[in-house]
This record gives sequence, C-alpha cells and structure tokens, in this order.
Amino acid sequence: MTSVTAGLQHLVERDRDHECEGYGPNHLCVRLVGAADLPTRFGEFSIVAFWNNRDAKEHVAIVRGDVRDREQVPCRVHSECLTGDALGSLRCDCRDQLEAALRRIGELPQGIVLYMRQEGRGIGLINKVRAYALQDRGLDTVEANLALGFRDDERDYAIAAHMIHSLGVKSIRLMTNNPQKVEQLQQYGIEVDGRDPHILPPNPHNLFYLQTKANRSGHFIDFAGKPHLAEQGDWVRVEGMPERIPEEE
Amino acid sequence: MVVGAGVSGLECARALARAGHDVLVIDKARGVGGRCATRRIEGQPVDHGLAFLHGSDPGFLAALDAVAADGAGTPLEGWPAAVQGSGSPCQPDAFAPGERRVAFAEGVSAFPKHLARELRVRLQTRVTALGLAGLRLALELDDGGRIDAETVVLALPLEQARELLATLPAGIADLDGVRALLSMLGTLPCLTVMAGYPPEIGAAVPFDLCYPAGSRALQLVAHDSAKRAAPAQCVMVYQARPAWSRERLEAEPSQWAPELLEAAAGLCGTWTAQPLWHQTHRWRFARVDRGSELAGPVVVQFPGGARLALAGESFAPGGGVEAAFLSGRRLAARLHEEFA
Repeated sequence: MTSVTAGLQHLVERDRDHECEGYGPNHLCVRLVGAADLPTRFGEFSIVAFWNNRDAKEHVAIVRGDVRDREQVPCRVHSECLTGDALGSLRCDCRDQLEAALRRIGELPQGIVLYMRQEGRGIGLINKVRAYALQDRGLDTVEANLALGFRDDERDYAIAAHMIHSLGVKSIRLMTNNPQKVEQLQQYGIEVDGRDPHILPPNPHNLFYLQTKANRSGHFIDFAGKPHLAEQGDWVRVEGMPERIPEEE
Repeated sequence: MVVGAGVSGLECARALARAGHDVLVIDKARGVGGRCATRRIEGQPVDHGLAFLHGSDPGFLAALDAVAADGAGTPLEGWPAAVQGSGSPCQPDAFAPGERRVAFAEGVSAFPKHLARELRVRLQTRVTALGLAGLRLALELDDGGRIDAETVVLALPLEQARELLATLPAGIADLDGVRALLSMLGTLPCLTVMAGYPPEIGAAVPFDLCYPAGSRALQLVAHDSAKRAAPAQCVMVYQARPAWSRERLEAEPSQWAPELLEAAAGLCGTWTAQPLWHQTHRWRFARVDRGSELAGPVVVQFPGGARLALAGESFAPGGGVEAAFLSGRRLAARLHEEFA
C-alpha cells in the first residue's frame, strides 16, 4: 500500500462513527468507507469509496498524492456516464472529459477526481436512452428533455462538497468551464481558490466543435447529426475554442 | 382549466387557486379522486382503487395531516399493519424505512375530497378533443359544449393525455417532442373485484393486506373492512396482476371475476369464492409501470401564447399518489411563475 493510501486509511478509521448535521436542505452526510491503491494508465492514484445517508449511490474519489491539509488542490467533479465513460459512446464527450481530467491530474503531484454515481442527466440511464431515442427521431425539444431529466444539482454539490471536506483538503482549484460550479461548491463552505478551464485535446471525434456552432438549445451537432447534450453540466471546450460558446446567431 | 380531478389535478388546481388564479376542474366521473377511489356498498366504504396512501415528502405529508385537522377524515396511521405474502407491492417504496403509510376510516377518497373542497369542479363531463381557438385552447366536450382557456392542464393517465394530444395539429416542435416521448411510456391495467362476506369472517382474516407470491392472477388482496370502525360486513378487495388484467381487459366481468375469486380461494381459503355479493371495476390505466416515470411536469407553449401542460403520476419520480400530488404542485408553481 502506498503512503498516500495509508493516509486515506486513517480517514476511513476517523469516519467510522462519523455522523454530522449534513450538508444542504436534505442533510446529506457521507463517510469514507474504503481506500486502496489504484494504479491506472494515467498514473498512480488511490481510490476512496464513500457511503452516503440518502441513497444507494456509491460515489468515489480518485486521489493523486497526499491532499490532506493542502491548498489549491486541482479537483474535477465528473458525473457518471455509462455510455460515454465505459462504452466509448460518441453521443457525448464524457469519456474525453474524464480522461483529460485523469491524465492532467496524473501528471501533477496532487489532485482529485470525484466520480459521482448519478448517471448523466435525470432519473438515470433509462431516461437517457429515451432522450437518445427522441434525438434519433430528430426531436430534441426542450420540454421533452426537461421531462426526461433533471439534474439534482443541489444534491450533487452537497455530496461533492462533503466529500472534498472529508478528504481534509484546505482549498481546491476547480477544473471546469462553468463558473457556476465554483459558486455552488462555495455555498457549501468549500474554499475554491480559482478555476482552471477544462480543455480537451482535439481528436477526430470532437473536431466538429471547432467547425460548427451551437444550435438553438446550445447543443453542438456532431458528424452523425446527433446533438451533444451537456451531460457533465459543463460546456465542452476543445483546444482552439474560445473561452465561451459563441452566441447563437 | 384542469382536466382530471385526480390527486394531481386537484393539487395543481388548489395551488393555482391559492395563488389567485381562476381555475375550473373538469372530470368525466361522478366524483373526484380518480384512482384514489372509494365506493359505498350497503352503506360501507370500500376502497377499490389504491388501498392506502404512502409518502415521505414533507409537503405531501402536511396535506395528509390537513385531512384530519379539518375533520374531513379519520386517519388510520400505519395501515396496513399486518402485511402478508412475499409478492411485490405495486409500489416498491411503500414499505421502505421512513415511509409513512395511512388509510382513512371513511375511505381513501377522503383525501381527494379534502383537496377539492374549495375548488370549482365540473363532474360527469368528458373532454373529447382539443383544438386551437385563436390565441386560446379549445376543449370539445361530450355534451356538445365547448370551453376555451389560455392554459389547459391535462392531469390524466398517460394514455388518455396522449389521446387528447393526438387531436391537436402537428408541427409545433415541443408538442411533437412531447407526443413522441409519451409514445414510449405506458401504464398498467388492473382488474378489481370487491366482495362482501358475513361479518364473522373478518375476525378470521389474518392480514390487512396480502401480496401473494407466485400467483399469476392476484397482485394484492386487501382486507378492506379492517379499515372500518365496527363494519357491518367483511369486505375484501382483490386486485389482479397487470398481464392477467391485460389479457382479460375487454372481456365481460362475468368471465374474469369468478376466476379471480377462485385464485383467492387457493390463497386465503375456499370461503373467498362464495361471497354474499361482489362488484367489479376495470382500471384500464391503474398505475405507472415502474421505469416509465418522467422527472417532472411538461408545459408546451403555443405560438399564440396558449399553454398546454401535463401532470400526473407519470410526471414525477416514484409514481403513486405522492408523485401525482407533487407533480401537480410542481406544475402549479411553474405555471404561476410563468404567469407572473
């Protein structure tokens, strides 16, 4: 076991009886319940498993280096996306985003990727498949998408904030293109010491971002004619793209 | 204008009325409540739709509390207490920790009746089609009448809402999207038999509710008279499983009611098959198929400014009365925000 993981083990022991008032209106509370080495193709990490008091979702943190009492620890919050992360779907950019985060943090002395187990948008995978089915029929309407999914941001951020806090980090630098995420975490008492844009390296699958403009609902249309939803609650930026999505014309 | 006086429609109308809007609720039935239904048989209430209410949302629980506070019903907290059988409940969450369960001595319809008490409700009127009338939406009624409104809420089972949406013209992007979405979802049917027995039988029934395992026919057996104070008779309610119900949905009750009673006899004892009387009900759209629920209500804006909105059990996570209630409440909040 690496010394980093050994340090995280101490947190697991510390959390054994942890019970706090909880974060947010739903009093969300999490506990570190397991830590182990996680060597990856992106570098040496530790994986930390969390239990929470609200649902059966098993969130994890992928931790690089000893982050306890550290300031300005780079941190990326990633929402689970089975189709993208695991299956390599080209209907979203989740895998590119996850890989870019792991690769980047893998090159740094410290960093954290929080992997939130709430499938993409909404109630879950079932409704994501339905949203794709609508897109296949050329229908990508705002109302249908609203009915299919809501991001329970409140819960996302409350859990993420508690996880960061439990890891003993003093302050983070958030890797995101969405400044609202910074505010959301700050609301839960996390010291966010700046934001780093999350820029994806260009590849044959995301070149369309450089070639097309967002459609009416802010989605980019890919080469297969499918709109890419902002599954990570974070707009995509590929190297060479400006800081903001161009305004619609 | 709210079409459908079930729990979602009533809560939506109630929240809109409280916010100062002029609301009319319209329903094809003789009473309010939809599937939150109670019949009076020989003077005794019988819940032939859902057998009890359950939930955990503070707003929903407060609304349940208000029924007793206003003297509109006598709550039976924790009913059903004696639950037997290892079959699956219609609502898997009903028996989760932290979930509150309640029935009413007057019947579960005490709840929707309470929700409706300050509302304008027009019963026994069916909406047959929707149309665009200038900048407003028009509702064609089965009595030949026609009402128009700027905002129409459909608080109906999914299939009935879909039928009404089909009467509107195509070509409005959001409406087409919502229609396509609804075409992927559905509800489940439930054939129901209510049966009466001599009162002494009741003492021998060992459960309030039974979810039989391994029965192809029976989903649930409810000891309905256990909810009544000093019942004059023992009343049981038998509800059939979705696939079994679907196969017999268009058949005469005389063909399936005896079959369902026989199935119950195999489970509870031969007495069940010889009731003093029985009545039937065909719930064509009894409940949401788990996995068919959407995240929230839907609002479609028409070019002229008219709005068509959908709420109901299918339009909130979890299904059941609580989901119906919350979808109605959420829709009202959304409509009010957009009105103002």
